[in-house]
Amino acid sequence: MEILQYSVRKLIAGIPLVLGVTFISFLLMVYFGPDKTYELLGKNPTPEQIEEVRRELGYDQPFLTRYALYVQEIATLNFGSSESSGELVSSLLARTIPVSIALITPGFVLGNLLGVLFALIAAYHRGSWADKFIMGASAVGMSISFLIAIIAFQIIFSSNFGLGLFPVRGWNVHSFGDYLSYVTVPTLATVFVALGYNTRFYRAVIVEEMTRDHVRTAKAFGTPPARLFYKNILKNSMIPIITRVVFSIPFVVISGSLLIESYFGIPGVGKVTFDAITSGDQPVLKAVVGLTAALFVLAQLLTDILYRAVDPRVSLT
Amino acid sequence: MSNGVADLTANGSELDSSVFGDSLWGKAFLKFRRDRAGMWSLAVVTAYALIALGVWTGVWGTSWADVSGAKWAPISAEHWLGTNIIGQDIFERAVFSTKTAFEVGLVVAVLATVLGAVLGAMAGFFSGSWIDEIIIWLMGVLDSIPFYLLVAAIAFSLEGNPYAMHIAMISTFWIGTSRLVRGEVIKLKSLDFVEAARATGVNQLTIIFRHILPNTFHILLVQATITFVAAIKSEVILSFLGIGVQDGISWGLMIAESTFEVLAGFFNNFLAASVLMFGLVMAFNMFSDALQDALDPRTVSG
Amino acid sequence: MSDGSEILLSIRDLRVEFATEQGVVRAVDGVSFDVHAGETVGLVGESGCGKTVTGLSILRLVPCPPGRIAAGQIEFRGQDLLQLDTRQMRDIRGSRISMIFQEPMTALNPVFTIGNQMVDVLRDHEKMTRRQARTAAIEMLDKVGIPDPAVRIDEYPHQLSGGMRQRVMIAMALSCGPELLIADEPTTALDVTTQAQVLDQIVSLQEEFQMAVILITHDLGVVAEVCSRAIVMYCGSVVENGSIEPLFEQPRHPYTAGLLNSIPRIRDDRLGKLPVIEGMVPDLLQLPAGCRFADRCGRAGAICIESRPQLNDGAGGQTAVACFNPIDVQQ
Ligand SMILES: Nc1ncnc2c1ncn2[C@@H]1O[C@H](COP(=O)(O)OP(=O)(O)OP(=O)(O)O)[C@@H](O)[C@H]1O
Ligand SMILES: [Mg+2]
Repeated sequence: MEILQYSVRKLIAGIPLVLGVTFISFLLMVYFGPDKTYELLGKNPTPEQIEEVRRELGYDQPFLTRYALYVQEIATLNFGSSESSGELVSSLLARTIPVSIALITPGFVLGNLLGVLFALIAAYHRGSWADKFIMGASAVGMSISFLIAIIAFQIIFSSNFGLGLFPVRGWNVHSFGDYLSYVTVPTLATVFVALGYNTRFYRAVIVEEMTRDHVRTAKAFGTPPARLFYKNILKNSMIPIITRVVFSIPFVVISGSLLIESYFGIPGVGKVTFDAITSGDQPVLKAVVGLTAALFVLAQLLTDILYRAVDPRVSLT
Repeated sequence: MSNGVADLTANGSELDSSVFGDSLWGKAFLKFRRDRAGMWSLAVVTAYALIALGVWTGVWGTSWADVSGAKWAPISAEHWLGTNIIGQDIFERAVFSTKTAFEVGLVVAVLATVLGAVLGAMAGFFSGSWIDEIIIWLMGVLDSIPFYLLVAAIAFSLEGNPYAMHIAMISTFWIGTSRLVRGEVIKLKSLDFVEAARATGVNQLTIIFRHILPNTFHILLVQATITFVAAIKSEVILSFLGIGVQDGISWGLMIAESTFEVLAGFFNNFLAASVLMFGLVMAFNMFSDALQDALDPRTVSG
Repeated sequence: MSDGSEILLSIRDLRVEFATEQGVVRAVDGVSFDVHAGETVGLVGESGCGKTVTGLSILRLVPCPPGRIAAGQIEFRGQDLLQLDTRQMRDIRGSRISMIFQEPMTALNPVFTIGNQMVDVLRDHEKMTRRQARTAAIEMLDKVGIPDPAVRIDEYPHQLSGGMRQRVMIAMALSCGPELLIADEPTTALDVTTQAQVLDQIVSLQEEFQMAVILITHDLGVVAEVCSRAIVMYCGSVVENGSIEPLFEQPRHPYTAGLLNSIPRIRDDRLGKLPVIEGMVPDLLQLPAGCRFADRCGRAGAICIESRPQLNDGAGGQTAVACFNPIDVQQ
């Protein structure tokens, strides 16, 4: 009950964020976005025809009216069909979002798990060669551009000049085997690039917790290392970890990995959104923007509830 | 530790009179000088900066756009790193791109840091008021729009403006700095010297910009280096997506060019841009870390 | 002075170093002392003189890095703790030797109930079921004066006041019946009334449990009240060690004398003009070759600057002192 009430309050408090996201996207993508008047006109249009089309597109309305209409369409989930392909927006998203999630999830999960693992090794052996090696390697990893990593992995694993083990590009998935063969190289590149950042982040969090007073107390009472790690270090590190992981989820769902999708020619939601921006495909944009804002409000709610679950000092008020 | 708090107070009041004469900066300087990795990285960054300066003043890198050889010419005395698909000299292009990287990095780092400092200081000083609320709201909103999509939207709404990429980066990169500055200013504003200035009726903006903001310089400096790196790294990806550097050449454009060259087995373009870029980013990252270490009053070795 | 009972803990030439950016700091340099079974010893000295580090060394809890125990022996019932493997050391911590810390606000794990933490300690060291451990924990909480222990046991640390938390720490520390309790400024962070209560609690429990206590404190008044012996530290080493009466009435080390002079006395009509010891504690990075107190000492001679005095045996009812020119008892 407490949680339900809290959620309702929190969702209401999320309205300014939704308005902000929709407003900025409206401003950039619609108001200053591509002008579609001439696309819809035949050759040598008369001024009357231009006028007519602009009225249809709503370009003659005042700014606030147009924004209100935009918000109304998002709020009523009235998206219609894509202007470029004619496909229903709902089916477009239903087709592309799962692809993005399937594409990103393995790298996201592995990148975080391995990051925690390496961070633990480094933090537990602070100052040793293992720490220096891990932190040195993550500094190198952080200095390599994602694009460079993708190309290098493609050359090494997919091209004829390397091992040639995996398809060079595309997403032709009909079975789990197909999935593995298409997802491996993008996953390797994602993990490679994320690992440096994640290791550094998690090491800082873990070291911070390791030097807390209550860890010293636990040691002074002869707590075995496994329990010390779980109860004193991990449980107390959960807030920054939850924050990092949960707030990545909207990006995974919405932008997928635009770069990977563009580079490997994978039909995910990131690529679709990017194309919608470049072509001014408003129905798609509206849907994605609405979804983004909603996901962020939900992520905020989720993190608060999870904070409460891991830390009794947090109260849901 | 408890020491840190005492130090902070002392720095606060001393810094108020002179920013650079203070022991924090003096100590940081000495500490940085002793940091071997930091000094090496500074040397490397300086070397890159000199290359960029040479391009900027027209000493070298002038013929990056000339078609001076055959398609995909191999490495030779004439073309140190070979040529690209239309016969342009890769070495010249890679050198010229160094200037592009510095240009993007500096413009974005300086402007984003200034913006972050100003908005962060305002939010922190007026924390709890509507000014703070609005700035926090703005940060939250910009944070919730996926970066590349925001950049794409800005780039397209500015219709091919060559600075669309810069503007896009600045409009998101200020947020991190702003959050840090806001937190620091909230701490600083309760310190004695600020209370004293307030009690004597000094104008609020004067307090913010003359008395408080100079005390966040150490944060700003580190943030500027972090932003610089983020800008160069983003440039590569944006240029690949076609919304990055519009005229001239950059490592990102070279890598974009090379994406199908590598599948044909020609790696010079890719390697030249990647290695040069890696060197600069790595050195800058190390420089940034060393700077952060040197300026952090709390760090203990080990 | 000892009352002839068995030696429980014997520290010899303990040296602890910290690697700092400016170089290696010797926070503890050649400390030796004994603790007898059942006695209460006060460990006193100015801030930064190495009291906490000495206490942590006994349980091998010196943070590493940057610290390390560089030399010495710490014998507990004849067994050198520094030679034990980590498993053996774990068995001793919290069961035969316990330690409580200065900061009750942060010393407990904030995300588990105090009962959970107490049960863990009990079950680590005693063969108990969860239920038995819980009963024992409630009993301990009752003993340290927590009202309503059966309810309080399920609360989180942040729901308790500072004094309560320190009592919980004490309950936890005593739950396995240790032979030695190291209490590092257990009352410094508390308000005055709570301080007295917590201190009384420790004293009465000490009698009940028959354990030895090393009480680390700044407060010489507290030492005079509850300890039978005091060890005075200055700048990483012991300068004087002896029973309370001789030490307080006829201190022999000039530093001890200075410390005692700086205690405010209620009836002193010159209150507010306390004599303080002139000068500064030397930098641990640039320690003088001779006596570390020499440059603040009115009695220092040439030899004090050249070589370091060793702690003598303190025979004949006198305190043991590390000084070439101690204050003469007969004076
Ligand atoms: N983690 C650490 N890193 C570096 N040096 C340390 C560390 N802990 C202690 N020291 C050094 O050891 C010296 C002694 O510290 P210690 O905490 O034992 O003093 P103390 O006598 O307990 O003082 P206080 O009364 O303030 O608690 C300090 O002056 C400091 O130089
Ligand atoms: Mg201490």
